This record gives sequence, C-alpha cells and structure tokens, in this order.
Amino acid sequence: MIRQAERAMFDGGDTRPREPVVITGIGAVTPLGNSFDAIATNLLAGVSGVRRIEVPFFGPEHVQFAAPVDSIPSPEGFESARLSECSRFEQICGAAVAAAVADGRLAGIDPRRIGIVAGIGAEQLKAWETDYAAGGTRVLGPGIDSPIVHRIATLVGIDGPAATVGAACASSGYAIAMARRWLQLGWVDACIAGGCDVITPSAIAAFHNLRALSRRSDDPARASRPFDRDRDGFVMGEGGAFVVLERADDAAARGAMSRAEVAGVGMSSDACHMVTPSTDSLHASRAMEAAMSDAAIDPDEVDYVNAHAAGTSVGDAAESAAIRMALGGRADRVPVSSTKSMSGHLVSGAAAFEAVACLAAMDRSAVPPTVNLDNPDEACRLDHVALVARRHPVRVALSNSFGFGGANLCLALRAA
Amino acid sequence: MHAVRERLADNACSILTHAAVEVRLSEVAALRDAPGPATAPALPKRFLRYCDEQTVVGMAAVLRAIDRLPAPRPSFERWGVLSASCQPGRIMGAAAVIGTRKSGSQGVSPHLVPQCSLHSQASAVSVALSMHGPNFGIGGGPEAFDEGLLAACSMVSQPHWLILTAWDSEPSLDADGSPITDPVCRGLAVALLPGEVEDAEATIAVEPYRGDDDVASCGDFPSMAARIWSLAKSLSGDAAEARATLPLRHGFTLDLQRSDARSPLALEAA
Repeated sequence: MIRQAERAMFDGGDTRPREPVVITGIGAVTPLGNSFDAIATNLLAGVSGVRRIEVPFFGPEHVQFAAPVDSIPSPEGFESARLSECSRFEQICGAAVAAAVADGRLAGIDPRRIGIVAGIGAEQLKAWETDYAAGGTRVLGPGIDSPIVHRIATLVGIDGPAATVGAACASSGYAIAMARRWLQLGWVDACIAGGCDVITPSAIAAFHNLRALSRRSDDPARASRPFDRDRDGFVMGEGGAFVVLERADDAAARGAMSRAEVAGVGMSSDACHMVTPSTDSLHASRAMEAAMSDAAIDPDEVDYVNAHAAGTSVGDAAESAAIRMALGGRADRVPVSSTKSMSGHLVSGAAAFEAVACLAAMDRSAVPPTVNLDNPDEACRLDHVALVARRHPVRVALSNSFGFGGANLCLALRAA
Repeated sequence: MHAVRERLADNACSILTHAAVEVRLSEVAALRDAPGPATAPALPKRFLRYCDEQTVVGMAAVLRAIDRLPAPRPSFERWGVLSASCQPGRIMGAAAVIGTRKSGSQGVSPHLVPQCSLHSQASAVSVALSMHGPNFGIGGGPEAFDEGLLAACSMVSQPHWLILTAWDSEPSLDADGSPITDPVCRGLAVALLPGEVEDAEATIAVEPYRGDDDVASCGDFPSMAARIWSLAKSLSGDAAEARATLPLRHGFTLDLQRSDARSPLALEAA
C-alpha cells in the first residue's frame, strides 16, 4: 500500500486544484536601488552595482570588489534609534520587509493571520562574525539567538507563523514557495516572503577559497559576465527583497493591487555534489518543467527566462542545457538574461530579487540585459538579451535559482 | 477574508519509518566514520569528513530509519529532504571567524559555506543518498522544531524526510575555537508520505491557528533538543497515549496518531 501511494505521487505529482496566489507588495534594499521603480529603471538601463570595496583583514591579492548596498532606508514608522542598534543584516532585512508591508497595505489584516518566511542561508555564521569583529564572544557559545525573521516580525507587527528557509542561492525562492503553500492551505491570509544576505569577510573568503568568485580585480564593473566565454566566477552582492503574497480572491476583495501571480513552483535536487552543479541538466530542467506544469503553461507561453547564471564556468553551461531541455525548440526564441551581471549575486536574497526583476520586465514590457556578455559562450547557446535591454512584452516569466547542495528551484510568474 | 479554511486533509502525512539518535560531541568523530548500521545504505567514502556535527547526527538517524524498513526497501530517488537544525555550524564557524582575524582569507575553510549553512544537512542527505526531491534547511534557531514541522506538513506534494537536530546545550569553545564542553546532540529522522497510508507507523497533521485570542505566540517552550526527544518518544511508543497533540508556536498544534500496527521503533543512543 505504501508503495502504491509513493508511486502515485511520483507519476502524477500533486494535481489538486489550488487557489491562485498573487503578489500585492514589494520591498527591496539592493545594490540597484531601494524601490521597485529604481530597480526596474536601473535593470533596464544596464546599470552595474559592482564596485571596489575594502575587506578587513584581506591583502590586495584577494577579491576586493562586490555589489554592496550603498544606503539603507529608514522605514516609515521605525524608530531610527532602534534600527541603528540592529546589525547591518537586520537593518537591510528589516527595511525590505517593512517596505513590502507598507507597499502591500496590510493594515486591515489580523496580524496573527500574517506569516513571514525568510530565505536566509547562514545567518548565525554572519551574526557571530559581526559580533566577534566588534569584540564579542558569542561564537564561543553557549548562547542561542532568536533568528532575524522572528525579530523582524516583531518590528513590523506580524504575529503569524514565521520561518527561516535555507537552500543556499535558492533560499528566497524556497521561501516564496513555502509562503504560497501556507496561503493555499489557509494557514495565513497574507504572507511576506523573500530573502536577504550581506557581504562579510568570511563569506568572501569562503567563496574565494572555493574558487567560485571572479578574480577580475582590475575591472570590477565588468567582472560579472554570465554566459560569456571569459567568465571566471560570480561577484558577491548583498541586499534583500521581499514580496507580499495573498490569495487572489482575498486580494481582490480588499482592493489590493495584484502585480503578478506566482503561478507555479518547481523544485528538485541534483543529488550530485555539495558545491558543483551536475553537468547532467536533467534535474534542473525538471524543476523548470514542474513550475510550468504547476502553472498549467507550456513552453510556447513563456516570454522571458531570468536565469540563475552567476557567471561560473560549469553552472552557466549546465543551466543553458537545462533551459534547452525544458523549453525544447522554444529555447531559441525565448529571451534569456542574467540580472546578476548588474546586481551581483545576492545569494540568499537572489531568487526573490530576480522575481522582482521579472515583475519589472512585465511592468515595463522590456527584458533586462545580461551586461558584459560580449562573447556568448558556445556552450551557452540561447536567445540572450546581451548588453542592452530588449523591448518585449512579458506576460509569463520563469525565474531559475540553483544553489549549493544541488537545490534547484524555478518560479513561474504570470502578469496579473 | 479572515475565515479559517478547513484544509487539514491537505497536510496530513503518514510516517513510513523513523529513528532517533543522541550522541555526545566527543562521540561524533566515531559516527563520521560509521554513521549507520552495517545493513543500512553505504555512503560515499569519507563523505561526512567535513560535515557539521549536526549533519552527522541527522545522517545517522536517517540511516537507522532506513535500516528499520523491511526488505525490499523503497527507492528514495524522488524523495525530498527537509532539515530543521538549531544553530548549525558553530564549531567550524568559530574556526572561520577566528581564522579570518588571524590569517585573512587563508584562515577560512572552503567547506564553510557548503557544510555549515542552514541547507547543509538536507543537502548532505540528498547528495549522499541520491534523493532528487527538493532539499532545504529550516529554522536555524530555537524555533526550528516548530518551523520544521510546519514546513514538513505544508510541503506535502511528494514524499520527503524531515530531520530535526539540536544540542541539549550549545557547545562552549575556548578562545581558539576548541570545544571545552561535551554536550549531547539529538537527532530525529522521519520519513513522510503525503496523506494517510495504510501500514504507516503514524500520521501527523498541523492544525493552524483558529482565531482564539489566547494564543501562546512565542511563549515558553522546552528546548528544541527536549522537544525532539519528546516527539521521538511519542512516535516510538514510550509515551502511553497513541494519540497526542503537541503545541507549536503561534497557536498551531501538531496532531499525532500512532498506528496500532506499528513495529518496535528505535530510540537509540549510538
């Protein structure tokens, strides 16, 4: 009997009808701006947020560039003194969540029926590092700190279920997937979902020592070059993006503006290696196919793919193959770009930020470019939107996010 | 809009198998080399060498749970893995933080991000046992027990493992980052199938907040390690009642119904 049940799930998946879930608010603090309009404008103008930075304790031979957040807005209603007591991580995350809550105008909803799911992959490590740099000893134990998501929930007055999700570079996409599910189950009436990350010396060192980062120190703004034959790794970015999700009928009933529907989610694992993506693109393509199936769309309806493409040699080629596998012949005609070429890699916050980039494409009827894509790699043959934005109506977009540990996620977003 | 919807059937899960493990920090090294019984699936050689201690304990629990299944065992190829851990990565994290200060980037292990992040435990199980369903981590703090159960019962579109791990007290380290205490790490692995399945050991379902004013949002709960052991006992039959309702944060509860047909289960001090 157990085997029959398992087989049924493998063959058919979850085919029960689900209520549409829509995005009714956006908040972001990023290297490309702190509002939807600023981000959309910068993305479509091909602006790079990458620049030289100072990394404490590092010599000049190491990576000294990234895409940092330049200014953290003080959210309306927050006591600035209270915010200044928070860590940089908490400030960025809190400002992004507060902006999403304000944009979604959630004031009329019972706070106990509002949830929050944050994609944050290594919060404790960064909190310990920040504390140690300031002379603290929290890393030496044995204390336990409440995660940021719970502190932020208190700050913005959310009293429903809260969770942190970690799926490496796909974390905030998994957060959106879980929030959508909570809404479909009726556990909450609104849910804030997204993710955030910050740049720290240990994080840069760890990725540098993995040989995952670009070493193009002489020309930081041109270092992030996904799909290009001269790519040599990703560029770290920081920032956070959060969206407000609601069931479509609830949003309509309260007159909330629906920006797009989270129409489908696909998730899978490579189960191959703790760091390197599988060169067999089967499982990444399965995530894309599952997202399209969940959204009840076929490849012909896809207008844009926001690729995960971080600028790594193996990853970009594997993703290109996955896109071709999932979209078939349509892959030659669907515009593809990697906005990491401009924003850097927001790591835990990347998936949510790139979902926002898809909304920008829908809103402006234009696809943001992959800047620095001077010479597309033969191993990455796709319909690239290289160097400059392309006018193109976008009704359905797929957004890929692939993380360490083989975590694959694809969001299918449909214009409202 | 605020009407609470009846969706319990959507999040009921059946427990195919489970196992719990508790070990002291000083015993983790031995578990790295031999994490499971001889009859459990074999891992790639030295796979756990750089893994966080909680990953080792979680993996040991998964292997024991699989080992309890009668032959022929099901394929886990399409299973997902959710891991809920409290403060993973402290010991390697301390080495990185201290090492950065002392030696710059050379002081940081390349294993830090892949092995000591929130996702690491789930990814290790996914990779080691070739499970291609979704893998991700949940929690990271003392609320990880609640978050893990909510996640497990909400992401029920396919079979998946839920792994819960925590220290009974966080390790204390000296100024060089070496442990000076020997706490116990507890882990519970539960194999979950969507819906109610005949021959399952038990079923669980999350009951959401239903609008009561008297809600313990974040009140006093026992430690995560204590709650893991309590849940393990409820599943194993050490608890007298076959049915239990466990309070979760934010007014949610977990309903657990143990099957009468259940086989003897493993609560193990490895």
